[in-house]
Amino acid sequence: MTFARQAVRALAPDPALAGAGLTLVTLGLLMIQGATLHSATGITGATLRQAVYLAAGLLAFLSLRRMDYRLLQRWALWLYLGAAGALAFVLALGTAAHGARRWIDIGPVTIQPSEFAKVATVTAIAAFAARREPSRRTVAAALALLGPPAALVLAEPDLGSTLTLAVIWIVLMAVWGVSWRILGGMALLALAILPILFVAVPEYQRERIAVFVDPARDPLGSGFTSRQVEVALGGGGLTGRGFGGPSALDGLAPRTADFAFAQLAEQVGLVGSLAVLGLFGIIAWRGISVAGAASDVFGRLLATGLTAVIVGQAALHIAVNLRLFPATGIPLPFVSQGGSALVTVFAALGMIESVAAHRPVIDRTPWRGD
Amino acid sequence: MTRLSVAVRLRVVLGVFSVVFAVFAVDLIRAQWLDPVVAPEWGNGVSPRIVAVEAARGVITDRNGVILARNVPDYRLVLVPGLLPSEAESRRSVLIELQARTGVGIDRLVEAADTHLARVDPFRAVVVEKHLGTERAIVLRAALAGLHAARIEVTSDRRYEASGALAHVLGYVAPIPVDRAVELQKVGYSPEGRIGLTGVEAVYESRLRGENGRRLILADPLGREVGTLGDTPPRTGSTVELSIDLALQRAAEAALRGGIDAGLSIVRSVPARPQPVPGGAAVVMEVNTGEILALVSLPSYDANLFNGSTDAQAFERVLQDPGHPLVDRTYMETRSPGSIFKPLVALAALEEGIATADTRITSNGYISVANEYDPSIRYVFKDWAAHGSTDMARALARSSDVYFYLLAGGYREDGREVFRGMGADTLAKWARLGGFGRPAGIDLPGETGGLVPDSRWKEKTIGDQWLLGDTYTYGIGQGYFTATPLQMTVLAAAFANGGDLLAPRVVRGTREDGRFFPTGRQVTARLPGTPAHFETVRRGMLAAAALDGTAFTGVPTGWQIAAKTGTAEFGQPYPDGEFHTHGWFMAYGPFERPEIAVVVYLEYGVGSTHAGPVAKEIFEAYQATRGGPSRVRQPGGTP
Repeated sequence: MTFARQAVRALAPDPALAGAGLTLVTLGLLMIQGATLHSATGITGATLRQAVYLAAGLLAFLSLRRMDYRLLQRWALWLYLGAAGALAFVLALGTAAHGARRWIDIGPVTIQPSEFAKVATVTAIAAFAARREPSRRTVAAALALLGPPAALVLAEPDLGSTLTLAVIWIVLMAVWGVSWRILGGMALLALAILPILFVAVPEYQRERIAVFVDPARDPLGSGFTSRQVEVALGGGGLTGRGFGGPSALDGLAPRTADFAFAQLAEQVGLVGSLAVLGLFGIIAWRGISVAGAASDVFGRLLATGLTAVIVGQAALHIAVNLRLFPATGIPLPFVSQGGSALVTVFAALGMIESVAAHRPVIDRTPWRGD
Repeated sequence: MTRLSVAVRLRVVLGVFSVVFAVFAVDLIRAQWLDPVVAPEWGNGVSPRIVAVEAARGVITDRNGVILARNVPDYRLVLVPGLLPSEAESRRSVLIELQARTGVGIDRLVEAADTHLARVDPFRAVVVEKHLGTERAIVLRAALAGLHAARIEVTSDRRYEASGALAHVLGYVAPIPVDRAVELQKVGYSPEGRIGLTGVEAVYESRLRGENGRRLILADPLGREVGTLGDTPPRTGSTVELSIDLALQRAAEAALRGGIDAGLSIVRSVPARPQPVPGGAAVVMEVNTGEILALVSLPSYDANLFNGSTDAQAFERVLQDPGHPLVDRTYMETRSPGSIFKPLVALAALEEGIATADTRITSNGYISVANEYDPSIRYVFKDWAAHGSTDMARALARSSDVYFYLLAGGYREDGREVFRGMGADTLAKWARLGGFGRPAGIDLPGETGGLVPDSRWKEKTIGDQWLLGDTYTYGIGQGYFTATPLQMTVLAAAFANGGDLLAPRVVRGTREDGRFFPTGRQVTARLPGTPAHFETVRRGMLAAAALDGTAFTGVPTGWQIAAKTGTAEFGQPYPDGEFHTHGWFMAYGPFERPEIAVVVYLEYGVGSTHAGPVAKEIFEAYQATRGGPSRVRQPGGTP
């Protein structure tokens, strides 16, 4: 093993995982730069801000990767309570935008606690499940752990984050060893709850769902948005239009956040968008592999849950962008503009790497044993 | 059922993710390669562009649905430089052809064809001539047949009801002001767009504006539209329904014009004095809702001046007019109200226990007060007549100044307190309770609040001690105290309705898709007072409107009203000791079941002689509209 490879392993025990994340974040920066560069030249403010968040994310990644993830098991309860507290705070006193209350203003930075809450919830459920066998009672308890953050996030309202939490929970339960019968029962229950959710969600969300079902229905211009996305995808063609220049998504406010995938697909074409899918595929594959090789149950559940945080969100985001799912505001991990989400996914990546670093190593380097 | 091993479970999770991503990949291949929406043109540099489709602006009507502000088509001749031949010679020959057909000078055409913008965006139309009349537009359209480079475009222009001095209330729309362009474009205004700048047009801008539609078009590299990908139609703005009754507004305007002329006649009769500028205001408000039925400020101007089609000279005349027609005298300017302030002083004195309805004070035509430091100096405060001994109702009816000097400042004789007044600071407290010193809260921009002075204010602002004389003049609504006609109307309505200070409303509500959204009644504060005390003041104002009261000139036939006149001196005295005076009249009626409050203000005039008859005409015009169509409630409307 060369020195360079050793250095890489020291930084990231699973280099493919970290590499995929870094490639995605680079694409994200190019996408943001291209979309926010109007006629001016040079690095735009949005790109610069994202780069600063990236630095913070890398710092979180490195410190968490160096840390023994087993400490998280001890801190899980506090992380969870802290996240729930932050969500309650944001609901009571947070900053509202576009009819939702999701942000806490701290000087120049706005923090979106729902992003951190996803990681905290995974940690708490993993810590809880690691010491118990799945049974009807313990699954119900795990569901109870999901309840408060999911409800608080739904109240903001942030349907996207609620759905992400649900996906994460199902993945965690499946890997914990919950019988398929219970999982099936939960799925039926979820189907029964969905129509109720439809009534409970705010007007604009319901409208989006209605437009999804019937794109011709268009009182709020939402169908217009999906038309724009369609044109953007088609316009990207095979090789894309490059970064910068006119875009079909012009005038769509969250195009570098909620429509980051479509924006990127327009810029890099089919070749690039398939590569993005591939990169998330690598994260899924490596993340699950780390989970499989983890030294304890907590590590396994943690790695699985955090992989689900990244890949589950990516799947929901892309599904929305491809209009396979009603429009909800879900950021594309690593790519979308937004600080809280970026720091959170890098923290999650660091924690997975920490699990990887502590797996029982079968050292195959021939010269090291002597 | 067997438990699956962990490895299998992990593989299942990975498998589910794989299937999901495979579906995405298939959909991407379809959307980006096999079946794209726009692919063929894309290679030729065609790019999508979103263009706004301007929504029609909502109309403004009076309370009976009479349209006061409407949209009319505005035709203009435009030239598209990109459609002209590019070689200089044939380009010039086309322009000469255009000159021959349109009659527009060749210089103007060349200038339009070679603007800086034309080089950047050659397919953007350049306006050659604006505001073509309908007939000329039709003639030109025919003349331009076959010539692609020039065409007639239709945009929307605004026309306002010119009569009734409504310009202040309606406001006007104008092109986006340069200093707000950036901020407004962020919220969806186009650079060529127009925006309401004053009056209801400004306050209700967001409702009137409607929602612009959008079109997603494909444009070639030159900016030419080659195809439409999707569109959202615009939504017309809401109809804004004013509480103004156009018929009453017109009648009030006519009456006020007469009053202003009459008031000026006495000034003009003295030739040595500079000729004053005619001006005045009249407000009619419903006493139970705060709805403004008429709001007249003279001199006024034609709101159509600002739509750009009128000549610059007329515009300049308005700006230079010494009567400041752009200022709405009903709520933008403050004046000494004079004696129409007395009813509030009376209520304050009753509430503070200074006086009762039966308190009698004798006026010999003046009171004199000794200087505090040098008793040999005596100041004289005149009454406008010697009223003899009067009780409170009689004092209001005859507008005795001495009575209110004493209520405000008290009276001492030989160092002995003969009558205890409430003092300036207590009076200031009551002025604030009566809604003065702050805007009344009308739904129009730029309202002023006037000044409620007190002893601390004088020390801080003027640097002088508050004197007894200041308190005396305060008690008759003169001196430093100022108010707007609108504030006086709100006060009159409060006396009528038992103390509710209502926010005046010129807009009754908005109408959208046949549904009516009322503005609603809003009480900004309450004027405290026991019913008995209110009744005493009301009786005093009723007495003022009786045959031997000063306000009898304002009483309409068939009605009893409560009223008060005011004549407030202002400016510098002339050598003969005379001042110019503002004439005021404040009233509500009918006395038993009050409906409306009326306030008339004349820049020059005497309350009883000149302002009273104006109010009488307004009351009678209101009576004429009552029972007619104007008083029938609109469906969906709430009183």
